[in-house]
Parts: sequence; C-alpha cells; structure tokens
Amino acid sequence: MPITILNGEPEAASAFDAYLHEIAGRLAEQGHAVTTLELRELDLKGCSGCWGCWVKTPGECQKRDQSATVCREAIGAELLLLASPMTMGFTTALLKRAADQMIPLIHPYFEIEGGEAHHRARYARYPRFGLLLGAAGGSDAEDLEIATAMWARMARNMKSKLVFTAVANRSAQEVADELAAVA
Amino acid sequence: MNSLLLLNGSPRGPRSNSMKMLSRVAEGWVRAGGQAPEVLHLAQRAGFDRAVEAFSSAGAVLLGMPLYTDSMPAVVMAYIEALAPRVAVAHADGANPALGFLVQSGFPEALHSRPLERYLQKLALRLGSPYAGTIVRGGGESLQAMPDEANRRLWARLRVLGEQLARDRRFGEAELKAVAGREHFSPCQAALVKLIFKLPVVQFYWNGQLKKNGAWERRFVAPYGLAK
Repeated sequence: MPITILNGEPEAASAFDAYLHEIAGRLAEQGHAVTTLELRELDLKGCSGCWGCWVKTPGECQKRDQSATVCREAIGAELLLLASPMTMGFTTALLKRAADQMIPLIHPYFEIEGGEAHHRARYARYPRFGLLLGAAGGSDAEDLEIATAMWARMARNMKSKLVFTAVANRSAQEVADELAAVA
Repeated sequence: MNSLLLLNGSPRGPRSNSMKMLSRVAEGWVRAGGQAPEVLHLAQRAGFDRAVEAFSSAGAVLLGMPLYTDSMPAVVMAYIEALAPRVAVAHADGANPALGFLVQSGFPEALHSRPLERYLQKLALRLGSPYAGTIVRGGGESLQAMPDEANRRLWARLRVLGEQLARDRRFGEAELKAVAGREHFSPCQAALVKLIFKLPVVQFYWNGQLKKNGAWERRFVAPYGLAK
C-alpha cells in the first residue's frame, strides 16, 4: 500500500524525527511502499494566493519549487500521513506551507457536498488522511482537538477523510500497526 | 492604550481581500478616537520582523487572514511560532496586548472558519491576551470581482466593529453575527444551491479567468493522476 508521510519537523536531529523514521521503517517492513518527504529539505516557496494553479496552469503551481513533488506523492498515496510536532497549539508552519501548496489538487469550482459548499474534485481518487502529532509541553487535550478539527476539515475539502489521529506517546510499533490497519 | 497594530496575514500582501476588510475596521477604530494604526504585512519580510518586535508594546493587535486549506496561512503560523517567547510572560498582567482577529474565506458559509476561530481564541488565552473576538466572513473572493460600492453595507459593519474595538476592547456579538452572514445552508437551501452551482453562469469568475488565460480547455486536467 503506498503511504506518503509529510514530515513537518523542522529539526533533523529531534526525538520526533527519529520516532517518525522508526514508524516509517516498521511500515516498510510490513510491505508498504513508504515515501517520506522531509519538508525541511524541500524548496517550498509557499502559496501566495495567485490562483495560477486554478486559472493559468490548471492543476500545477506556477512557482519554480518542489511543491509538485508534494502534490504528486500525495495524490499517488492511499494514505497521506501529516506528521508534525505541536507548536503553539498547532502543527508547524513548515507542514502548513506544504498543505497550502496542495490546492492544485482540487478545482476552484464549488459544489454542495453533505449540505456544505466544497471544492470540486480534480482527481478520480484521493488519499485518506492521517495525523501524527508530537506531544509538546504546553499542549493540552483541547489543542489536540482543535488541531484535529482543522485538519479534518482540510481532508474533507480534499475529497477525503481524516481516518487516523495519534499523539507520539505510544510505541512506534503500535502506531505503525494502527496505520497499517487504516492504510 | 489606544494604539493598534494592524497585521495583514494574507500571502497576497497589501492587495488582498483581507487588507480591504482590515482597512475598514481600522477606519472605525480611528473614528472612535484610536490612533492611526501601524499597518504591517506579514508576507513582506520587513513587515513580519517588525510585527514580531512590535507585538509586546502594542495596546491592541488585530490580525487578519484568509482561510487557507481550512486553517491559517503558513505565514501566519510562522508568525504565531515567533510569538512563542511571549507565552512565558502570559500571566504577567498586561504583558501581552489585547488580541482580535479577522478570518475571511471564499466559502459562502461561515462554518468553514469556525475551527480556526476556536484556535485563535485559544491562542489569545495561551498568550494571556484579552480576547477581542474574531470577525468571520465568507464569500471573500467575490470582493475582488465586485466594485467597492457593492459592499457598502459590509464596509459599514466593519467600521462599527472597529469602533467597538477602540471603545470596548471587544467586538460586539450582534455585529459579529451580522458580518458572518450565513452560518450554514438549511437542507432546502443546500438542495437549491446544489442545482445553482451546476449553472455555468455561477462559475463566471473562474471561467472568465480561465478563458482570459487561454486555460479553459485544460481546466479539468489532472497532471499527477487520473482525472475525475
């Protein structure tokens, strides 16, 4: 099963980074095709709201950066795992930069879905979403709930569902097993 | 205490819908006796750095942003990360300024912005800042396509909110509700809008842009996979 991990940890030598790599390794051992994108190593210029990806080069960001890699690996996965330490009650700006540049994956037209306005799909299928949060001092259960709610909304707008949420306080094997079950 | 730091968190910078709306709130602030606010654009490096530096000395801060993939734009999150050292002084009385927010989105309903609103309220609590409230408004992208005259009622309401911020340090609930407009569609409205969204004329803004750019024929392409 193809699984793409977006690693939003800005620090290469952190405990969260090591934990995430251990999870990726366990999933690979189980036979999953795991692609981990170290976002800190990608040239991501960020979305500037130009809408070029909607009205000039449909489906493709016009920035000369590596956001196409994020889009390609995301849409090619069955499960997209968003991984980030908690900072100020949310995921990192690094992860958010990558997410903002995923809007080429959807269409600007609106449609009604579940009684709400949402963007029309551009692709025939989308990956399910997972969220792995590093537990940080200063974050509480309410922060986790709010962060989960925002990413669940994004998953919904990406024609998908947030099917997995975990905090990095369990063993890598346990998390890998749970991910494998939903992948 | 009558100083206001006006922070525009739109990645588009000065020429953004967020800034259009923030400017009207600022007009109300001044009309109610507040000093002319310092205006900074977080998308500009100098503005971002100055916004970090000026945060602690501001009487009040109004941070506005568009909804980006259902939360704050990355540049706003980067700014929030830069405020982390201010959490340590959160419990010192008056250490951090009063905080108000503006979130505008392209969706016609306000509900899309509510999880972000909840986050921003918690952010004020985290910083020990008195929370002035969050102005939520849908349909923001249409501000670009419409002449300013067509939005007179919205501008007037935003000015009232600016006056309330200057006078009471808080936005009034009734005015916030009026600006937010439709919270969600009723089942009947959703059924009707579902049909309306299928009419090509409804997509005139996007279709006009696609045609102008010679991209109309390619509007449904899916470069990284199978198209819908």
